[in-house]
Amino acid sequence: MVRVEHKRALLVFRFGDKKFEWPIEPRYWRNPMIGIGLLALLPLIFHSKADFLSLFATANIYACIAIPLGWQITGIGRMNFGPQFFVGVGGYAAGLLSVHFGWGPWQTFPIALVVGLLFGIILSPLTTIAKGLYFSLITLILPLIFLEITCYFRIFQGETGLYGIAPLIMLESIKTEYMVSGYFSLAMMIMYLFIVQKVLSSRVGLYAAAINDDEEVADSLGLNIKKWKILAFVITSVMITMTGWFAAHYFGTFAGVTYLHLPFMLKILLMVMVGGRGDIYGAIYGAYFVVILEKVLTITGSVNYILFPLILMILLLTLREGLYGIYRKHRYREYYPTMRVRK
Amino acid sequence: MLLQAVEVSKIFGGLRAVDNVSFSIETGEIVGLIGPNGAGKTTLMNLISGNLKPENGRIEFNGQDITGCEPNKICRSGVSRTYQIPRPFPDMTALLNVAVGVFCGKHRPHMSLGDAMLDASHFLEFVGLFGKRNTLARDLSLFELRALEMARALATTPKFILIDEVMAGLNQYEGKRAVRLIRKMVEEFHVTILWIEHVMKIIMEATQRVIVLHHGELIRSGIPADVVNDPLVIEAYLGEKIA
Repeated sequence: MVRVEHKRALLVFRFGDKKFEWPIEPRYWRNPMIGIGLLALLPLIFHSKADFLSLFATANIYACIAIPLGWQITGIGRMNFGPQFFVGVGGYAAGLLSVHFGWGPWQTFPIALVVGLLFGIILSPLTTIAKGLYFSLITLILPLIFLEITCYFRIFQGETGLYGIAPLIMLESIKTEYMVSGYFSLAMMIMYLFIVQKVLSSRVGLYAAAINDDEEVADSLGLNIKKWKILAFVITSVMITMTGWFAAHYFGTFAGVTYLHLPFMLKILLMVMVGGRGDIYGAIYGAYFVVILEKVLTITGSVNYILFPLILMILLLTLREGLYGIYRKHRYREYYPTMRVRK
Repeated sequence: MLLQAVEVSKIFGGLRAVDNVSFSIETGEIVGLIGPNGAGKTTLMNLISGNLKPENGRIEFNGQDITGCEPNKICRSGVSRTYQIPRPFPDMTALLNVAVGVFCGKHRPHMSLGDAMLDASHFLEFVGLFGKRNTLARDLSLFELRALEMARALATTPKFILIDEVMAGLNQYEGKRAVRLIRKMVEEFHVTILWIEHVMKIIMEATQRVIVLHHGELIRSGIPADVVNDPLVIEAYLGEKIA
């Protein structure tokens, strides 16, 4: 059995001949495993409330957009205002195949991946051609063009959107189904977090930071900026596309009006603002903040549509580095890996 | 011959910033590049480092044609540079600034982050910034930034370094330290240097050869003592008082 001892500032867990020590100090509580463990407990606690589980999954889906976006913003050194374009690409790829051909989620998966990859590759030259504001403007317009296209062609079923998309899993009990899908969303978010965390704490993260700080200097230090920018853009685009695929199969419906319109962009922007620009852990805080804020604002009724942008604007003006960014600012040395040299 | 430029020209609109300039630099030399403001010194440097592409002419480095190549390719072939106004990566620590140079200056696919940090700390110690390794680059002073740029340039394992005005904005004491640093750099790493400078005293002392540009044209090239006494150079750059 596990024996727990309390030794001064340490909690010692003994399991057989194995020993595990946990320092009781606040600075060790910032362990991501604790956060993930707490999140994993949530669906178990609220298993009977379907609307709560839906909120939980929504927050995870939002985080799945914001986490790759964090890598993208640093990796290409530009602000992307249209990541929802790729959500649309993934969602419609999955939805169209599922509705018109009756394909299941694992059959649409590779197609959504390939379509996302194709669009990523086609749009990737933008990262080297368009600079600063122009890139932001082009990416802002892209989802709106896509929205027009979805309204124009009947195959996309216009504003009602696609419905009857095959669910992720089919279980006998609807409650378990909700809970398992919730865990799927959490698993996807953790996978994205793990991938991006691994990438950003490797040399690729260092390249991304260099490109984000000064492209020209990075180039004249021997960094092939075109290669790394295109790689960062394509990989993150595919990740965001797969989020769209997940959202389509999770909710069973997919409408361009929900995802491709400006309000959704505002949500993503708010997530990025709250989390701090290009901070991946912050992205999760941002996603949960937005979902909770949205839920709270629904109480106010139709004022919601004005309040949300208003809060965004206030945050934009007052918190340039985001809520989590302020905390991060005092711990900048942990932002990128540092080496400690013994004297 | 390490670097050879043949009839290189660069035109900005109606301005011939660099006009048919030809020169060559031997391995191990320290060459000064002087000229009045707007003579095209920095433009010439940008042409060599690949940040600008020449309209015509050819630049060869180490027997390789590097005309119009990407800056990163030129850097990996052994040309490194510093900037007149220091351009560090402001949001990264000094150590990581240099680590970027360590990773990118050469093809090093199997180097770990820790190894790169160790290498970078070696270069930081060389320029005397080891104590500030964990300071953000935006918090460093001007002299420290110049030293950081040199460490970063050295980290890419160059054969040839382009130095753009080390002395600008430094006081006498710091200037002396910077010059000493450059000399140490040549001794230990055996690099060839092309050095833009406005302080004639340093050019006279530190360089073996001087190239003078005026209105984008190369007007004189030779040993410093000869160049300073040339009437053409005096008229174009130095002014008559010194003469």
